[in-house]
Amino acid sequence: MPKDDLMIEVKHLKKTFGNNLVLKDITESVKNGQVICVIGPSGSGKSTFLRCLNVLEQPTDGKVLFEGNDLTGISDEELNQLRQKMGMVFQSFNLFPNLTVLENIELAPVKVKKFQPTTAKAKAMDLLTQVGLAEKADQYPQSLSGGQQQRVAIARALAMNPEVMLFDEPTSALDPEMVGEVLKVMRDLAESGMTMVVVTHEMGFAKEVADQIWFMADGYIQEKGTPAEFFAHPQTDRAKDFLSKILL
Amino acid sequence: MKVKKILLLFIFLLVGSLTCLGKVQASTDTSLQHVKQKGTLVVGTSADYPPYEFTVKQNGQTKYVGLDIEIAKQFAKNLGVKLEIKNMNFDSLLVALETRKVDMVISGMNPTPERQKSVDFSKIYYRGKQYMLINQKDATRFKNIHSFRGQTIGAQTGSLQYQLVQQQMKGNHLKGLAKLNDLVIALQSGKVNAVAMEEATAKAFAENNTSLKVINPNFNVKASQTGSAIAFHKNSPSLVAAANRTIDQIKQKNLINQKYIPLAGKYMSNNSRKNTMWNYWTYFAKGIEYTLLITAVSVCFGFVLGTLFSLMRLSKIKIIHLLAVWYIEFVRGTPLMVQVMFVYFGIGTVIQAMPALIAGIIAVSLNSAAYVAEIIRSGIQSIPIGQAEAARSLGMSQHEAYRYVIIPQALKNIWPALGNEFITLIKESSIVSIIGVGDLMYEMQLVQSATYKGVLPIFIAMVLYFVMTFGLSNVLGYFERKMKHA
Ligand SMILES: Nc1ncnc2c1ncn2[C@@H]1O[C@H](COP(=O)(O)OP(=O)(O)OP(=O)(O)O)[C@@H](O)[C@H]1O
Ligand SMILES: [Mg+2]
Repeated sequence: MPKDDLMIEVKHLKKTFGNNLVLKDITESVKNGQVICVIGPSGSGKSTFLRCLNVLEQPTDGKVLFEGNDLTGISDEELNQLRQKMGMVFQSFNLFPNLTVLENIELAPVKVKKFQPTTAKAKAMDLLTQVGLAEKADQYPQSLSGGQQQRVAIARALAMNPEVMLFDEPTSALDPEMVGEVLKVMRDLAESGMTMVVVTHEMGFAKEVADQIWFMADGYIQEKGTPAEFFAHPQTDRAKDFLSKILL
Repeated sequence: MKVKKILLLFIFLLVGSLTCLGKVQASTDTSLQHVKQKGTLVVGTSADYPPYEFTVKQNGQTKYVGLDIEIAKQFAKNLGVKLEIKNMNFDSLLVALETRKVDMVISGMNPTPERQKSVDFSKIYYRGKQYMLINQKDATRFKNIHSFRGQTIGAQTGSLQYQLVQQQMKGNHLKGLAKLNDLVIALQSGKVNAVAMEEATAKAFAENNTSLKVINPNFNVKASQTGSAIAFHKNSPSLVAAANRTIDQIKQKNLINQKYIPLAGKYMSNNSRKNTMWNYWTYFAKGIEYTLLITAVSVCFGFVLGTLFSLMRLSKIKIIHLLAVWYIEFVRGTPLMVQVMFVYFGIGTVIQAMPALIAGIIAVSLNSAAYVAEIIRSGIQSIPIGQAEAARSLGMSQHEAYRYVIIPQALKNIWPALGNEFITLIKESSIVSIIGVGDLMYEMQLVQSATYKGVLPIFIAMVLYFVMTFGLSNVLGYFERKMKHA
């Protein structure tokens, strides 16, 4: 797949919860290998947008295309297949508490992708080494720190060999001293060429790693650009206001 | 006993009317010839009804005795064949006869028109009078039916005696209970002043308890309302005729009153002399075995069905959801006792040969399923939504997410509640004794009637129930702690 190919296309995406119109009309696309950081004020619909990308949230209107397949109009089986290629990392980790770290990572490859347990285990150990947690393989999640849990969650998503990784504020629930270790894993991942969509409040990370910043407010992507453009010269009042309020 | 008879009548009325329609009449009667060829007469009876039939212990062996057994012996002797007794629940007797597990049934059975539709009866061999059992200390007060005016009279619900008291003792309070033993306890503790019962049974109680006495209040009874006869397969006139000859012979010599009843009385006082509970431990052991069997099987089925119903209830498909909701609400909104009776007598009409044990297990399982469904549902709903989302984001289907992620966690959370349900079932399953399943409760009642002791068997059963539930709750606690460490 050439580098410029579109991985995700969003067309006139709308989402309402009851009477609450959260996403008003969004048309955007993510290219293969691109790292997008989505920023914006709380309640602006960033999480909802991200969850619409892998249809954890069913869009009310519009289309979401992944590698050319419209996720809003396919069978459940096809959707499950395509979701395997879209890793997701949650703010609250969502590790399976009844399974060890290793089992957390192996579960989906073995049960869904039908990998041989030995293959899955070897791959899981590789990933744990990659996120620096090989020695925690046999522990249960609750005995790990938040930062360690989030790194396991990243390894769990990577175990399915995804083509894009979706992050929803992966460091917001962490104590400050643990934010760095998670961001480092994400930075490494970006450098390895992974396509990523990251909802974040970590402006430093966004500035450094993102190819594009999407600024979201009031249910629209108000403005987008390279980090250099966006942080130095925000165009909209909404963005200027937002940037003035966060400490850079 | 009488209640069971009445209920049995009801089911046989239904079953009988179904089966009689389709049955082809046997052209030749080989019933007598058949028994003689086999060389054994297989007799079905329910040996918990002294002095008609009951068991005694002799040298550690259970022996069947009573006036009915004596008649059967005499009959077998006249035929020149060996006698084999099959003891079973009264409810099962006629089914056993119809399915040819026995050649005849003798069990103090009244030849009602309903029963006559499905089986043939011999002549009446014994017709007892209707008596009153009273406390010895009241012997001077109560002499006849009129001297009871204003008193409380006990009788077995659904029995002939109950009707008689109702119709012929209008100025009295009538207290109906299902079990004779309970009525006698009520009499001894002064809750009722007299208990109306059948002559032979009343005499048996009085003989075994010096504080009790029988009197004949001279009820006005129609001959057709009482009397016991032997039941045979439909259309076996040769065997019936042979039985009638034996009955004539016995009546002629007045054997029942002169020999059989006194002999039964001797066995009974023997019984009550050595009726330490220890002699009856096999009864309790069998009861425990059945209680545990019913509970264990019901827990398994209840768990499988309960899981199914909980998933149905969580389904997004409206009709499936509603079916589960209705089922759960309905089962939780009706007493287990009614459900047990409905399964046994209601569904038993369609599936005729369903034994009481199976009916009991089905009813208890279906009941438990509703409660387990709610436990599992609350367990599933207690799992944070993020767990399902994480599973789905990894490409798992809804089914896989439930199977590999949600259910295992839910089970761990609800283990204590499930264990509780298990313990509850041990206790609740005692209800199946009403349809004659030999669980601990039922066996306890057998011991009561065998020993003429009311309270002690209850106490023993209570302790045994406690030992079972307490033991189980410790075992469950052990596994619970183990699971926590996992
Ligand atoms: N499942 C839901 N049901 C109803 N309303 C919802 C639901 N999820 C989100 N919303 C609403 O949608 C709006 C956007 O929520 P969303 O979580 O997408 O915002 P966000 O930009 O991610 O905010 P934050 O930075 O606080 O995470 C909010 O008003 C929220 O109350
Ligand atoms: Mg959010």
